[in-house]
Amino acid sequence: MRINPIYRQESRAGARSFKLPLIILGFNSVLAVVALLYMDSMIAQVRLTAEIQYSSFLGLYSFVTTMEFVLLLFVVPALTAGAISGERERQTLDLMLTTRLKASDIVAGKLVQGLSTVFLLIVSSFPILGLVFIYGGVTMADVGLMLLCYVVTSVLLGSAGLFCSAAARRSTRATVAAYSVLVLLTAGTLMVNYLAEGLGTMPQGNGAADWPLYLLLCNPAATFQTILNSQMGSGSGLTVIFPQLERITEIGFVGRYWWPVSMAVQLLMAAVFLWGAVRKTRPAGRGRRPR
Amino acid sequence: MLRIENLTKVFGRTVALDGLNMTVEAGALYGFVGPNGAGKTTTIKTVIGLLAPDDGRVLVNDIDVAKEPDRVMARIGYVPDAFGVYDNLKVSEYMEFFASCYGLAGLKARKRGQMLLEQVGLDDKADFYVEGLSRGMQQRLCLARALIHNPPVLIMDEPTAGLDPRTRYEFKEILKELRNQGKTVLISSHILSELAEICTDIGVIDQGRMVFEGSMEEILAQINVASPLLISVSGNRQKALELLRAHPEVETVTIREEEIAVGFSGDKRDEETLLKQLVEAGVNVYGFVRERGNLESVFMQITDHSGEEVVLLHED
Ligand SMILES: Nc1ncnc2c1ncn2[C@@H]1O[C@H](COP(=O)(O)OP(=O)(O)OP(=O)(O)O)[C@@H](O)[C@H]1O
Ligand SMILES: [Mg+2]
Repeated sequence: MRINPIYRQESRAGARSFKLPLIILGFNSVLAVVALLYMDSMIAQVRLTAEIQYSSFLGLYSFVTTMEFVLLLFVVPALTAGAISGERERQTLDLMLTTRLKASDIVAGKLVQGLSTVFLLIVSSFPILGLVFIYGGVTMADVGLMLLCYVVTSVLLGSAGLFCSAAARRSTRATVAAYSVLVLLTAGTLMVNYLAEGLGTMPQGNGAADWPLYLLLCNPAATFQTILNSQMGSGSGLTVIFPQLERITEIGFVGRYWWPVSMAVQLLMAAVFLWGAVRKTRPAGRGRRPR
Repeated sequence: MLRIENLTKVFGRTVALDGLNMTVEAGALYGFVGPNGAGKTTTIKTVIGLLAPDDGRVLVNDIDVAKEPDRVMARIGYVPDAFGVYDNLKVSEYMEFFASCYGLAGLKARKRGQMLLEQVGLDDKADFYVEGLSRGMQQRLCLARALIHNPPVLIMDEPTAGLDPRTRYEFKEILKELRNQGKTVLISSHILSELAEICTDIGVIDQGRMVFEGSMEEILAQINVASPLLISVSGNRQKALELLRAHPEVETVTIREEEIAVGFSGDKRDEETLLKQLVEAGVNVYGFVRERGNLESVFMQITDHSGEEVVLLHED
């Protein structure tokens, strides 16, 4: 198999820098502290009331997975937003573009590089994630589905980050843009729903409309919450901020198959972002049809 | 080998290239000279397909860059004005990385990288980190990198900027060696005299247009025309000035302390006639010589767009 040269080069240089170990350390520290604090409070509860509520053990699972999901939301744009603009700033993008590499090779190399770091983060958090198996109640399939959700989310946000990186001249701007996309996809789609609900429940309104719900298909946090709801029953994780998800089963096919449909939508969006990133990376003097 | 036809590029309101024509023969070492902002970098970036021209075309070996960029890229090695380097990468790895960008891998790539590092005198630095190299070394590394796929054409954008005289000299030696290997080299610079010793051809660009293109011999022949005739007369100076100002081949007349500096466009024969005319008009000429010209004065003259100065001198 021919390894993408950019991926190879990056991982070699990356292995020598402090950045990667620091990210892994920070990511897992936050996760571990949160998980241990939760367990501690749970046990304190038991000591106090002398009765064990099984649901609080399951709470650990939603707590840890939610925490990890939120961390990923913040880490992935940072990992990818500087990828192409950084090459541009270092003046190495032009060098690569004058070799046999195509713009798509460069974007692919950067995506694989970013995702492999995410993968490393997820795998390195397995021991902490494994805490949930101590008390049982969670199956491997549950965790597997959760990991799939992480991967899809990372692909979406990574692609968006690369697009911003290819479109912006400077890495700082690319980073701002990437986080804006994140906010738009998560909080933005949610806000539209709140607004629509607010309008719908006004005296002259005719109830909440269904269409804003479809917007939530683009929202990785909604996908995550649906999966968690299906595993833990509603009320866990981010439910407080996603009351709308209680209604999705009412909207037919899409509602019934929310997580596969939303994942498909998000992967499609990722493909569009990647296509845009390739277009923006390609030099002006290429790919034009002769007149 | 490289042909540029009517190349035009406009950035907003700046016309960077204005119908540029240029021909580089196979095996030439072509000096591409022009002042800051003349359009050298823009031309080079268009040649390697990083910029799209608004008009005109670029042919490398009769292949149109816009139509078949990949085939052209395989034939060109490019050294940009800012050589990009990576952190945390060693010299040998840097070479391997770019080899892999050209699809070269394994032992063959490593050997070729080593050979090139030797050629530019960096073989003892193979295990150094790239960012730790001096500017001159990075420059040579960049050159070695550009040659990794053994391209017949090498294009360098101001490679000697910021190098000390000794490094410059070494750099020129490397260029000569490349020429002996039969490579066609295009090298841009602000300084004409710097390229004079090594180049076979010169193209002078100014404000996006080619203002002079020819072999080194041709430009050297221009030196004479470019530098003024220094005429020293005793006594009847006014008479001499009258005659000179009326002369069709006299372009400028400047009075210096002892002598009259005359911008004269004629050749040796015309100089003879002028001298004869002066003497016959009763002017006492005791000195009549061409100032020893240099390349820079030619360059200044070619790229001079302040015609006003010349007019002023005429009033004098
Ligand atoms: N990306 C750009 N956007 C706007 N204007 C540009 C751009 N690139 C070049 N120009 C303009 O085009 C003209 C030619 O620039 P170019 O960089 O080709 O000059 P140059 O001959 O390489 O100069 P130097 O010797 O300083 O490197 C300049 O007036 C410059 O301001
Ligand atoms: Mg330049």
